[in-house]
Amino acid sequence: MGQLVNSDNRMPGADKEADLTERIEAFLADLKRGGCGTGPIRGSGETARETTALLRKVTAQARWSSAGDLMEIIRKEGRRMTAAQPSETTVGNMVLRVLKIIREEYARSRGSSEETDQQESLHKLLTSGGLSEENFRQHFVHLKANVIEAINELLTELDGTTDNIAMQALEHIHSNEVIMTVGRSRTVEAFLKDAARKRKFHVIVAECAPFCQGHEMATNLSKASIETTVIADAAIFAVMSRVNKVIIGTQTVLANGGLRAVNGTHTVALAARHHSTPLIVCAPMFKLSPQFPNEEDTFHKFVSPHEVLPFTEGEILSKVNVHCPVFDYVPPELITLFISNIGGNAPSYIYRLMSELYHPEDHDL
Amino acid sequence: MSSRGGKQKKGNVTSEQEEEEQPLQAVLVADSFNRRFFPISKDQPRALLPLGNVAMIDYTLEFLTSTGVQETFVFCCWMSNKIKDHLLKSKWCRPTSPNVVHIITSDLYRSLGDVLRDVDAKNLVRNDFILVYGDVVSNIDVSQALQEHRHRRKVDKNISVMTMVFKESSPGHKSRCEEDDVIVAMDSKSKRVLHYQKTQGLKKLQFPMNIFQHGSDEFEIRHDLLDCHISICSPQVAELFTDNFDYQTRNDFVRGILVNEEILGNQIHLYVTQDGYGARVSNLQMYDSVSSDMVRRWVYPLTPEANFTDQQGQGCTHSRHNVYRGAEVSLGHGSQMEENVLIGRDTSIGANCHISNSVIGNNCTIGDNVVLDRAHMWNNVHISSNVEIHQSVVCDGAVVKEAVHLNKQCVLAYNVVIGPNLSLPDGTVVSMHHPEEEEEDDDDEFLSDDQEVGHSKDKTRQKAFQLEVLGTLQRGLEENIVCDNLVLEINSLKYAYNITLKEVMQILTRVVLEYPFQQQGTQLTTLQYTGSLLPTWSPVFKNYIKRAQDHLDCLSAVEELFLEQDTHQTAMVKVLMKMYQLEILEEEAILKWFSTGATNDKSRQLRKNQGVSTTLQSLYITARKALCGERDCFPVRRTSVCGTVRPVQTPGLNTEVFLSSSAPEVYPVVERSRG
Repeated sequence: MGQLVNSDNRMPGADKEADLTERIEAFLADLKRGGCGTGPIRGSGETARETTALLRKVTAQARWSSAGDLMEIIRKEGRRMTAAQPSETTVGNMVLRVLKIIREEYARSRGSSEETDQQESLHKLLTSGGLSEENFRQHFVHLKANVIEAINELLTELDGTTDNIAMQALEHIHSNEVIMTVGRSRTVEAFLKDAARKRKFHVIVAECAPFCQGHEMATNLSKASIETTVIADAAIFAVMSRVNKVIIGTQTVLANGGLRAVNGTHTVALAARHHSTPLIVCAPMFKLSPQFPNEEDTFHKFVSPHEVLPFTEGEILSKVNVHCPVFDYVPPELITLFISNIGGNAPSYIYRLMSELYHPEDHDL
Repeated sequence: MSSRGGKQKKGNVTSEQEEEEQPLQAVLVADSFNRRFFPISKDQPRALLPLGNVAMIDYTLEFLTSTGVQETFVFCCWMSNKIKDHLLKSKWCRPTSPNVVHIITSDLYRSLGDVLRDVDAKNLVRNDFILVYGDVVSNIDVSQALQEHRHRRKVDKNISVMTMVFKESSPGHKSRCEEDDVIVAMDSKSKRVLHYQKTQGLKKLQFPMNIFQHGSDEFEIRHDLLDCHISICSPQVAELFTDNFDYQTRNDFVRGILVNEEILGNQIHLYVTQDGYGARVSNLQMYDSVSSDMVRRWVYPLTPEANFTDQQGQGCTHSRHNVYRGAEVSLGHGSQMEENVLIGRDTSIGANCHISNSVIGNNCTIGDNVVLDRAHMWNNVHISSNVEIHQSVVCDGAVVKEAVHLNKQCVLAYNVVIGPNLSLPDGTVVSMHHPEEEEEDDDDEFLSDDQEVGHSKDKTRQKAFQLEVLGTLQRGLEENIVCDNLVLEINSLKYAYNITLKEVMQILTRVVLEYPFQQQGTQLTTLQYTGSLLPTWSPVFKNYIKRAQDHLDCLSAVEELFLEQDTHQTAMVKVLMKMYQLEILEEEAILKWFSTGATNDKSRQLRKNQGVSTTLQSLYITARKALCGERDCFPVRRTSVCGTVRPVQTPGLNTEVFLSSSAPEVYPVVERSRG
């Protein structure tokens, strides 16, 4: 690494590009290998940051003269990155965010107020035209610097997401409540720990077999001296009657307000609905994806069945089919509230957030 | 992220851990040196055969890259150009690849041993390296094993030379390869290998006592291990292969190290993992099971839809029941893909087909009413209507016409056209190459363990070798050369003439026994003969006769010789007695030979010979005595794979492992220890 950084500073041109492609390849390879079993080794927050940093590097080092060129480059790299690990939607989301940034900066440079009326409306469709590709050809001197600065802002925002969500904990968790969560989510962990500074409450963690991330979660919580109980997934329904609130994390928030979350979440959500227990989802904005749940091919992720039926079992393995899916789909009607870094929202409001974050023309890379 | 940070970091690393800075290297042997895939491997080297529509060598390289290997040496022999072309086109040779691949080709490699000797000669490796074959499919994270290996080498300077990676999997697992079935005795604490043996279908195995007598007090004898054929080697391994030019395979090496452990002080360790997947596609059976494991996602993240080779258009989608579809696949009306099916791009399938547990390559066409179960079809295969294929391999460009039935374990090699209206019985292999022509052609390409070598060639080699051995021994006698040097010379001859250990023994026995005839003519009396026999060469013999099998080989050589020399049959008793007294042969072996070996009339007659049976009887009695009472004064020699000679204090406690309770063959040893 050290050598590469050196060559950056001295020689522009070919070396820079080689370095860039090398970085991208390394990132792609990481994504492809990412997660033997339990999912990515890094949290999705880290993936988001890394993607954004990489896109900033692309912006800074690739050769482009107009916003259109840059968008084309970003789209191309974005397609490869999302294809590398389709289940890791944060990567795609970050690509969309950066594209949106470029659009905005371009509009600002032109002096138009494009960003205010980006909403689809009948009127707009009729008087169409808008900012289509050929309009991005204009060259602006400061565009590069502006875009990079805006991406830096995005990075700062990403850095603060978990804290922003955790800060809202006291509004939702009250003293002596019983809270259930499932599996391990870094965001939920921070959320609960933040609340524990002021309040006393009891957390029940469903272990989330076969990977049992719940165990790790419970250990971390009890280290922060929160009263914690681990239960088997089968006990979720039985225990639910005692629970005041269910707080879960998620892997992706889908465009319809549903979730793609770790296996077992659907069980928890249904049990919560049965007992009319509120279900709160802690999800940073970068997990919001323009994907809908009917896109079947990329929705699921099946990993090695090793955790379900170990390879050491021997003979039986040739007689059975073993599957080990990683995600559940949770429909939006089971969810009470989303807590994101910009505040709490109902599932029905997700479409609105979506249109604020991403440009409708970018939804398909 | 900033350049300053990077520099600082680098400065620290170089000063503190120079060892860690060295890039991790790997040696990939892209040749199997055997003929297990025979008619197929005639057209395509094994490393390039597709497994799940991806060449096997790509899996190996991906495995190496993902474990952090930065420099890989690929050694090719058979069809090296094809492998080279493939690699140059692949993503591994792009300038951005984190793993730099060097391709080294030579037509002279005959075994793994040759490759490693070349590694040593060219001085390629500088540090610990990973040794794999080009047909290993794995997702094991070996960094833990690597760390343990390095730690061991740091603690005991250069004692551990190799760490073998094994995967836990109980017997009966379909991904266990029968040929590679091993039983390993190891020290539980240090993970040191004490004994290593291929079971080769034996029901009963013996372990030398001495392995349990020193070192720690906890041992494990394991039969639940699957050899992944991944080894972490120190640079000494290459040197050891150079020093011992008779090492051909890793098996030779492991056994050699264990035998010479006390002399050289080298040790071999084991790393047993439960996670991950690792197997070598060493034959068609393994091909079938590894392929199905891959489709069932055991090798995650190396799954078909991951497209880890990064080739355009290779991507496919994954849906329920492990059905994978490439781009532009068309499926006819009423056709079903039941489960575990992988279909490559641009393949079209007709109506009312049933496909299950199969892999179909790119650009295939399949007619109507076809049933495929556990079929492996490669690229550009044409299958007409009403065909049934069960558990078979159909190679590139093959055409299967109407109403053909392929029963289990059939192979249609490259470009075969078959049918119509035909049913192939189990295990049929159809190839465009004439089988006989192959044998001669391929002698040089695939010299292997299975010894399918032309006989005439063999005989001339043996004859030449015999003459050389005779010359050597004569010279040894004349010039008074030390026996150790003689052994060394015979070893080098063995290597030069490419003679197996078994043959060496037979030839050596023959030379020694014929020696008196050659010196003094055939008119010797028995007494004269035995007197002039075996003057000083018993250490030479001892060096070669170690395992029980060696004893039997030697005895059969003796028998063969005396069958030819009719007049001197009486001398045989004396020879046997003499060899026994010199501790070349063991009484167990002689007794066993006597009780089992008779194959034809002549040899039966030989055994009936008065002298032989009486001598043997006396032998039998001495043996019994030795065990019952006079243990201490009579050194009982135990045979062991390790070959070390030491008295055993408790011969009653033979460590024997029964792999299954069903009637083990009765061995004289068992009877004695009970009596």
